[in-house]
Amino acid sequence: MTETEVTQEGLHKEGRYIYCIVNGHEKFAVRNAGLDNADVYLVSYEDIGAILHACPAKPYESKEENKVKEWLFNHNNIIDKASDTFGTVLPFSFDSIIKGDDDAVVDWLNKGYEELKKELDRLKDKAEYSVQIFCEPEKLADRIMAQDSTIADLKEKIEKMPKRTAYLLHRKFELKMKDASHAIMVKLAEEYASLLMKHVEEIKTVKVHHVPEQFKDKKLIVSFSCLVLKDNVKTLGGTLGTINDLQGYAIRFTGPWAPFSFTKIGEI
Amino acid sequence: MVIEIDEDNLKQGLLGLVVALVEVIQEALVRQAMRRIESGKLGPEEEARLSESLADLDEALENIKDENDIKDVVKSVTDGLTEVADVFLNPERWAEELKKT
Repeated sequence: MTETEVTQEGLHKEGRYIYCIVNGHEKFAVRNAGLDNADVYLVSYEDIGAILHACPAKPYESKEENKVKEWLFNHNNIIDKASDTFGTVLPFSFDSIIKGDDDAVVDWLNKGYEELKKELDRLKDKAEYSVQIFCEPEKLADRIMAQDSTIADLKEKIEKMPKRTAYLLHRKFELKMKDASHAIMVKLAEEYASLLMKHVEEIKTVKVHHVPEQFKDKKLIVSFSCLVLKDNVKTLGGTLGTINDLQGYAIRFTGPWAPFSFTKIGEI
Repeated sequence: MVIEIDEDNLKQGLLGLVVALVEVIQEALVRQAMRRIESGKLGPEEEARLSESLADLDEALENIKDENDIKDVVKSVTDGLTEVADVFLNPERWAEELKKT
């Protein structure tokens, strides 16, 4: 390590943990609600501000899963509180820390002002919603077999044969079903995306890592993150309701969330 | 660095790895058998024999997994292999990975 680097390190013992950027400079202070009960406050520049707490300039790391969960809960909780006060915010991901004190944050806001302000205006009055569309596997299988008679014929043939003798045909049936199921889900996802596009500003297909217990027996057809204007949430809900009412289908519709999936901030 | 080895874990891990590899071979055999059947070169009796042999192998593997409680280990190895195969054998995935970098 060079001498300069040591000096630089010394300069940045202090840091600021950033939760989000907000439009406005109203007073905002929440005591003991940040990570590890930190006092959270607003540092503003012109008409925007950063919601933050003071911390050492090093990342929050823990091998304890519960500790990390608690931090994530605190992080999202502060973003929700800020959204209640300021409207749509630019949420930052967990562990975003600026080296330096409040003045360093003001410098950083100053440097990135145009980009941050533009993004805040773009996302104004919009929120992120998560939409997951599920279908009963039997319903999907019926639909596949109604469309492809060769698969239906194969199933009929298997049912008339002894189990061991039908093993290879059964495997063939499984592979054909898997391919057909993939194809039909891609088609359905496109159909639903264009249906929902009428009510949303932006839509993204996302991977899902956790499915709640009540949907475990169903097949996830597609999962979307949608950026929705507050005025359009009801009509979006109405359209999702009509899908939910179809026999064998179920919708999981959650939000509003801060627009994590739609915030575009480059290198500031 | 000292590596601590638990004998039970070692047995489960090793057996899980072997069974997962046999499953990969079995999968290749199944696909080969399907191709042979589709080519029409096999008679009905040969088809039935092939199917029954592979069914027996499948059943034997399931029994080994149940008796040794290694279903999760095998699944984990198979999922890992699928992931590797997906990266190396899927050109669309290469394009996605390239976009990320």
